[in-house]
Amino acid sequence: MIEFENRIDPGINLAVRSLGAAIEAEKIQGVGEVLPTYRALLVTYDPLQIEYRDLIGKIQSCMGKARQIELPPRRLFRLPTVYGGPYGPDMQRVCELTRLSEEEVIRIYSEARYLVYFIGFICGLAYLGGLPEKLRVPRLPTPRTLVPAGSVGFAGGQANAIATDQPSGFNYIGRTFVTLYDPREFPPIPFVAGDEVIFPPVSEAEALKAKGRRAEDFR
Amino acid sequence: MKAFEVIHPGIYTMIQDLGRPGFMKYGVPASGVSDTFAAKIGNRLVGNQPGAALLEILLFRLELLALDDLIIAVTGGDLSPTIHRTPLPMWQAVSIRKGDRLIFKGRKKGFRAFLAVRGGFEGPKFLGSRSVFARGLMGEPLKAGQILERENEILGPPSPRGLPPEMIPDYQTKEPIRVMLGPQEDRFTPQGVETFLSSQYKVSPQSDRMGYRLEGPKIEHVKGADIISESIARGAIQVPLDGNPIIMLWDAQVSGGYTKIATVISADLDRLAQVMPGDQLRFQPVSMEEAHRALREETERLQRAEKSILG
Repeated sequence: MIEFENRIDPGINLAVRSLGAAIEAEKIQGVGEVLPTYRALLVTYDPLQIEYRDLIGKIQSCMGKARQIELPPRRLFRLPTVYGGPYGPDMQRVCELTRLSEEEVIRIYSEARYLVYFIGFICGLAYLGGLPEKLRVPRLPTPRTLVPAGSVGFAGGQANAIATDQPSGFNYIGRTFVTLYDPREFPPIPFVAGDEVIFPPVSEAEALKAKGRRAEDFR
Repeated sequence: MKAFEVIHPGIYTMIQDLGRPGFMKYGVPASGVSDTFAAKIGNRLVGNQPGAALLEILLFRLELLALDDLIIAVTGGDLSPTIHRTPLPMWQAVSIRKGDRLIFKGRKKGFRAFLAVRGGFEGPKFLGSRSVFARGLMGEPLKAGQILERENEILGPPSPRGLPPEMIPDYQTKEPIRVMLGPQEDRFTPQGVETFLSSQYKVSPQSDRMGYRLEGPKIEHVKGADIISESIARGAIQVPLDGNPIIMLWDAQVSGGYTKIATVISADLDRLAQVMPGDQLRFQPVSMEEAHRALREETERLQRAEKSILG
């Protein structure tokens, strides 16, 4: 585990991703997974194939190269989202906590661009940053045991659009029907760290038209 | 080619191979057989590639009807496999006949058995692997009435002899599980680390292939249990605020925001496959050099076993 400064920040995350890309480009014998997160990079390795000391040496030489590395171009996904009503079980709670009207919550949330910091949790959950300060609300006191795939929500300073049905303690205010996870495809999820996502508000009918369509179609 | 009809699906029987490493950056855990020694030896015994798909079986109750003459091998924990009331010898290739009923009557040792069939089990592939991971929409556990097919990926002849008894793993060992401390060891009080290393922990019933929840003396944090979410390596031991450790295993989430006190060394992960709810665990800290040496020994143990089977 290679640790960076201990906070959530786009610049720090960029440094993490750059080092990850540099290590991957090196194709070091014995290295398995290279996993960037907010402020740490996990590199798994087989000690029977590469000595720890040699690995550290190689990673140190990658640190210099990381500055010049070219990351994949940033892509912007526009995921049509239906807000409130049955699709936003926590809209009321968010309005009360932020003292904003439903229209204001939707406007503020959907005008922001969210940076994909990394993909994790289970089955392609995108950890999104860039949530406007006005929408900073805590997690639910008790997490929901099942939140449907495509739910769009936030908690603390983080946002997400969950890719498969799963438990979550985030506040969910809307839903997108775009397919965010398909294990029959490669890659199974549409985003990579460094991409951006927005959630434009649409009618229920419009949102449902995206059902079964890939996120690639909404760039 | 047909292999078996599932008469009773057992507790949570599923097809596993060596999993899908390399997709963690897409949030997909590697999954794969929990006891790699038992699975690879099972496949070798019937002449398969060591990574062929086989059945991972829990505890008891699985009942299968052979739909063809088959060559099989059962390895791993002893769940009393029987055919027509006769115990089926484990850790060796066995010929069975069309119409034979293979029943796993109950646990004697260990927790998970592996059933290899010559040719390997067929099953849908997701991201290059047949390992079932239902939470990730990648296959499902066996169902009653299901027909299990076999592939034809044969590598060589079945082994003429079984695994020598002295090479069969001891699934009843009380040896501590070896760990490397960290990465957030400093987020626990010295007393907390001492508690973790000196106490017995019981595996809770709420344990599965994602993680083993442990019950025992509470581990004390310095201040809070939250960190900025980061990747979780297989074997990592998370400690949430309640002070009860959780060992993250084969189907664990790939990232999380709880402090991790230690990580189980790779060489001891197979042993965890054969630990069941209610069993007691203790932990022993080792250095990175010791962890690497243990992995080398483990690899050599497998190589010796493969050699003795293949002759």
